[in-house]
Amino acid sequence: MRLRRLPLTLAALSVLIVSVFPVYWMVLTAFKPTRDIQADTPTFWPSHPTLDHFATAISADGFGLFWRNSLLVTVSAVLAAMAVALLAAFAVARMRWRGRRGFILMVFIAQMAPWEALLISMFIIARDTGMLDKLSMLSLIYFMTTLPFTIVTLRGFLAAIPPELEEAAQMDGASRVVAFRRVVFPLLAPGLMSTSLFGFITAWNEFAFANALIIKNQDDRTLPVWLSSFSNIFGTDWGATMAAATLFMLPVLLIFLVLQRRVTSGFTAGAIKG
Amino acid sequence: MTSRFLTATAVLALAAGLTACGSTPESTTTPNAAADPVKLTVWVMRDSFTDGVISRFKTGFEASHQGTTLDIQIQEWDGIGQKVTSALASNDAPDVIEVGNTQVAEYAASGGVKDLTDKVAELGGTDWIPGLAEPGKIDGRQYGIPWYAANRVVIYNKDLFEKAGVTAAPKTRDEWIEVTTKLNKGGTQGIYLPGQNWYTLAGFIWDEGGDLAVKEGDQWKGALDTPQAIAGIGFYQRLQALGEGPRDSDEAKPPQADVFAKGDVAQLISSPGGATAIEKANPELAGKLGFFPIPGKTADKPGAVFTGGSDLIIPEASRNPDAAYEVIKALAGEKFQLDMAKEMSYVPNKASFAGVLSGSEGAAAMAIGATNGHATPNSANWAAVEAKNVIKEYLTKVLTGGDAAAESTAASQVITDILNTKS
Amino acid sequence: MPGLWPYLLVAPTVLGAAYLLLYPLLRSVVISFQHFRTGELIRGGAAFVGLENYQEVLGSGEFWSVVWRTLLWTAVNVVLIMVISTLVALMIARLRKRLRLAVMSGLVLTWATPVLAATTIFQWLFQSRLGVVNWLLATLGLESFRSYTWFADGTSTFVILVVLVVWQSVPFAALTLYAALTTIPAELYESARIDGATGWQIFRNVTFPILRPLFGLITSLEVIWVFKCFAQIWAISRGGPDGATTTLPVYAFQVAQSLHKYDLGAAISTLTVLILVAALITHLRRMLRHEGDQL
Repeated sequence: MRLRRLPLTLAALSVLIVSVFPVYWMVLTAFKPTRDIQADTPTFWPSHPTLDHFATAISADGFGLFWRNSLLVTVSAVLAAMAVALLAAFAVARMRWRGRRGFILMVFIAQMAPWEALLISMFIIARDTGMLDKLSMLSLIYFMTTLPFTIVTLRGFLAAIPPELEEAAQMDGASRVVAFRRVVFPLLAPGLMSTSLFGFITAWNEFAFANALIIKNQDDRTLPVWLSSFSNIFGTDWGATMAAATLFMLPVLLIFLVLQRRVTSGFTAGAIKG
Repeated sequence: MTSRFLTATAVLALAAGLTACGSTPESTTTPNAAADPVKLTVWVMRDSFTDGVISRFKTGFEASHQGTTLDIQIQEWDGIGQKVTSALASNDAPDVIEVGNTQVAEYAASGGVKDLTDKVAELGGTDWIPGLAEPGKIDGRQYGIPWYAANRVVIYNKDLFEKAGVTAAPKTRDEWIEVTTKLNKGGTQGIYLPGQNWYTLAGFIWDEGGDLAVKEGDQWKGALDTPQAIAGIGFYQRLQALGEGPRDSDEAKPPQADVFAKGDVAQLISSPGGATAIEKANPELAGKLGFFPIPGKTADKPGAVFTGGSDLIIPEASRNPDAAYEVIKALAGEKFQLDMAKEMSYVPNKASFAGVLSGSEGAAAMAIGATNGHATPNSANWAAVEAKNVIKEYLTKVLTGGDAAAESTAASQVITDILNTKS
Repeated sequence: MPGLWPYLLVAPTVLGAAYLLLYPLLRSVVISFQHFRTGELIRGGAAFVGLENYQEVLGSGEFWSVVWRTLLWTAVNVVLIMVISTLVALMIARLRKRLRLAVMSGLVLTWATPVLAATTIFQWLFQSRLGVVNWLLATLGLESFRSYTWFADGTSTFVILVVLVVWQSVPFAALTLYAALTTIPAELYESARIDGATGWQIFRNVTFPILRPLFGLITSLEVIWVFKCFAQIWAISRGGPDGATTTLPVYAFQVAQSLHKYDLGAAISTLTVLILVAALITHLRRMLRHEGDQL
């Protein structure tokens, strides 16, 4: 029996290694002293861990500021997208109306939007409305980039919650809004959280617009823009580069670790139904 | 669009400066502008100047211009075309921008740059180096104000030369290869030459009598496939192999000064100002850096070099054009020019300032190299050839084992196509 | 007024999309019919030139080679993602609890890695002199990989980008498929096994039919994501070397932003969207029909 499982176990281990190793290598490099990083034979364990690279990354010009900017833009965009998407998802999942199919189709097509191609027209629009060099413009764009996917996913979650629950509450005399808040919302919470993650990652990562629309107010730059100029800031210092990448990944990682199980199970429930 | 005038004047200026060592002092006091507090944004390119030069300028300028504060922002070369264009097209652009002399014409032609023709006299424009003044001028109107110029030399580590028993700087290519081979032993790299340093390749091609592209009638033709150009890349390949420069990268990635600063690299091709960056990265190397002009094919003529430099522009969209002009006046004026020339070993924007470079070993090497200075093909589309990295990728292909004959034909065709597109 | 509610609920979405998506898209389409270069961007006053930009784009050999490369890029990635994800999902379902949890956590970790962090990591892994991949290959006896410059060669850069994108995409697909697998009643498998079905037959006749809608959804999402993939390619190779990794979004960006030919870039983008819609049209139609049945 043991032996029969061996190929399976080996396969599992190799999947595990392939998925974890790159991230492990990043974190490990971030903690290695430069001497070890440049050694001809790499070490796979932190024999002399050091915080030097993190110190370099954090003390780099503006790191804290850019981190804050990124967080601000991302969180506001995701919250707005959740609120707007929830309304739309409810209309699609629970109501019959003319134009519903067309709306769903549009939402799906919206996911295909070639965002990088809209740089110039977005630049012109921002300029003509005085929104250039403003973080709020980035928030708006990120809100829109995450909205279609958020609607699709939330709708799946909603569809997975039996309408009978609401109907029962309504029969007990609650209004539709109250029924939604008391009955559906608590059941939807995990779905909301996991959906917000996709939005968070998308917005947290965005580079092209952040680079093109923040021109003169350099204090309003976001982390990805800063991260992209690494080679200029840290040069051959791969340790500091990896430390900065680790710090860049940190918030996403934390949220994921907290929510991971809800994310996977929740998403499937919705996806299958939809 | 680098002008060919640059070379000659730079040489004259340097020669005059090195021998005469004097310049007419010129009043740099400026009348204080309006008392309204203004904050000006100035864009300077990465590695153009040391922090010291910039902070001295900022302090001095703010002290003499009450109510004006300067926000000097360092810009990355990567993607700079997009950035400057966006800035010119915005409603609230930076007030002063540094632009390379190969790019200034393109921006000036776009209509987003302020016409400064009526200031030329006040700035003493008759004395400007033409290689910086000409590209900034379109149809007789001056948009770009000359700032500084430089060309490449070889920076070497004196300790490593001594250790290898090399006593004299090489004068010819053959000597150079011989010396570099000798240096390239043990843990030492003979030369750190990244694979995509295409300005250096251009120099080798010019040495052979070739060019990057030639104009026949009104049609351009990529010329990397000529026997001269093939010989040029052949030499590049021999030299590049005498060190561990990455074949798929340029001098900015990683910054070559940082690599050299580690102390195990014997030679580097850079503008003399690179020495300042090296000493900053590793103070132990201070005083141990030497300079010599890039060797030519024969001892009587130094290797050909690309003459580069920068101009300053004020965007039309600047909200404080008058105050911005005060900044340009100071940056192009004697005090700053002398200070930066001394620290960076750049060629100042006026011949009369060049005296400050006397006694500088780097500047002396640069002056010799400048006698054989060249420019990139004079086409408005040349910027597109650079933007598409045609020559860089060609270099990488050949250095990683590609067939030079076949690859050069393909690359030349691409250059031909780009240069002949109508914009 | 119950009839009005759904429209009120979708109103914010519609308004937001109209201003932040449709409007810029329309302006982009307008630009694609104009002569729009740096001068026009700065000064305004662009003139209409009809189909000139489209003629120039469609008439260039470069555009078509980019189109084929993009299709190849999409096909290779999506096929790899779907096959590997399915295998991984089936594998996870068979693992014992602890190992299963470990593998799933590993996948989640990969999934959580932001694109820019991932590209930075991959550049470091494949760095020519200090990269661990070259060290490993050289240690395994493949001496030619010592200091091998991966990013100098078109094919090897393409391969690395495929590895990167597959690495990043598999977790989402695999975890979703696995979660769906767990919803299939065990009785179905048992009865199939009693009928003497082999593993492959079970997958084909039991598992796959049940998961088909999900396969459809994931595949089309991956097609969209891979086709549009820009950040990874731009960060690692800028579409190079020698255009070997230039896909349509990268090409449009290069033409517009690096060469300042905004009009041609807009035309390429419009064509990109049309190609993507055409590629997914069957899926869209099926989805629409499916929507008709529901609710």
